[in-house]
Amino acid sequence: MQRNRPPSMQAVNVLRALAAEPARWRYGYDLGTEVHLKSGSLYPILVRLADRGLLETSWEPGVGSRPPRHLYRLSLAGRQYVAELTAASPDRTVARPHNRWSEA
Amino acid sequence: MPIVFVPMLGLLGVVIAMMRRHTTVDRPAEDVAERLLRWGVGLLSARRAEWGQAMLGELDHIEGRARRLRFALGCVIGALLLPPWGAAAAGVGAMLALAGGAVAVFASAVGRYGLGDGGQVGVGILLVFLIGCLVAASALVRRPGVALPGLLGGAFIALVWLSLSGFTLYDQIAPDIVPWHPLIVEVVVPFAVGAAGALWARDAAVGRRVARLAGVSAGLGLFLYSTVAVAVLGAGGPPDDSGTVSAIVSDRLGNNVVMLILLIAVTATVGWGGAAAAGPIVARLRPTTDDVSGPSTSRTVVVARGLRLGVLSAIAAVAIVLAFTSWLRGH
Repeated sequence: MQRNRPPSMQAVNVLRALAAEPARWRYGYDLGTEVHLKSGSLYPILVRLADRGLLETSWEPGVGSRPPRHLYRLSLAGRQYVAELTAASPDRTVARPHNRWSEA
Repeated sequence: MPIVFVPMLGLLGVVIAMMRRHTTVDRPAEDVAERLLRWGVGLLSARRAEWGQAMLGELDHIEGRARRLRFALGCVIGALLLPPWGAAAAGVGAMLALAGGAVAVFASAVGRYGLGDGGQVGVGILLVFLIGCLVAASALVRRPGVALPGLLGGAFIALVWLSLSGFTLYDQIAPDIVPWHPLIVEVVVPFAVGAAGALWARDAAVGRRVARLAGVSAGLGLFLYSTVAVAVLGAGGPPDDSGTVSAIVSDRLGNNVVMLILLIAVTATVGWGGAAAAGPIVARLRPTTDDVSGPSTSRTVVVARGLRLGVLSAIAAVAIVLAFTSWLRGH
């Protein structure tokens, strides 16, 4: 059963970064750099957001011998979720990153 | 005891020679980060395989060795923790219980028999070593096809050790002086487990992992039991001329730690040889690209099923014979 716990601050930061340009597809590494998250924190967050249907994913075909690259953007449900999140707690802005053991 | 290492080293030499003979260099070179990440994404469940490809695809676009390595390391940690764990969670839980129980009993024996600061340091070192074992085991059980044969192999190794040494607490402390026992427990059984793992999964790499997991799980189980034996019997049991009660208990606990390390290292090493030795049979069992949809595929599946059944039957037969022999010796 999928549990919908409140998102962590890092997850909120990811959601807000994606919501800044909701139509644009984003790369994982660029997204992590923007919200100051290491890959070990970013990917579990992206997986959870995708599991909850808040994230759309796509593949950019690889060029030559390069492998395809995964792309992310907010789904419609994700955009609505961010809007609700903003309305519920407008002061919860993109904060400085903090380490959390569970998302190391 | 040193004579045991002669066949082991000989076996190792043969295996290395075989591996070098079968090594191919047709793949493009990978850096450390990519190799690490490829290993890490292998820990993901089939449901998360797409995310592993996403990480690999992203790594390909990252420049700079340090940056790539940081990214790969983070992804590996993420992959290690990312659910679902499925049946692997039960295996890790069981090994966690064994390791936790062993540390608790070890620490209580250190306190009860007054082993002092040296004993406390020993508990700390043991704790770090067991955490390392658990991390390694948690990675192994998540590899496809490793958990069940690995844990079965561990149970088999533990059963053979107990059958040869004896099942009672007293037997765990008494030295095993039968000269051929080390050959069985340190060469034949680990070799058989590695080979059986490779044949089970029809993959030599899986066989090597099975041997490692079997070594860790058997080591943890036997270590817990032998530590319980020391905690219960203390300086009692077989005669010991080490001196004071503390010295005897300290000596026995130390022996158990050596046994733990030896069992894991020997099973992993010799089991690796067994898996490599089974490689040619495994290669014959594997369907080729030409006959994937042909009638020989079903024949291969039947042969593989028969082989699995044969491996299981052989393990069960050996276990029964050993247990019976041990029982006869006790009476």
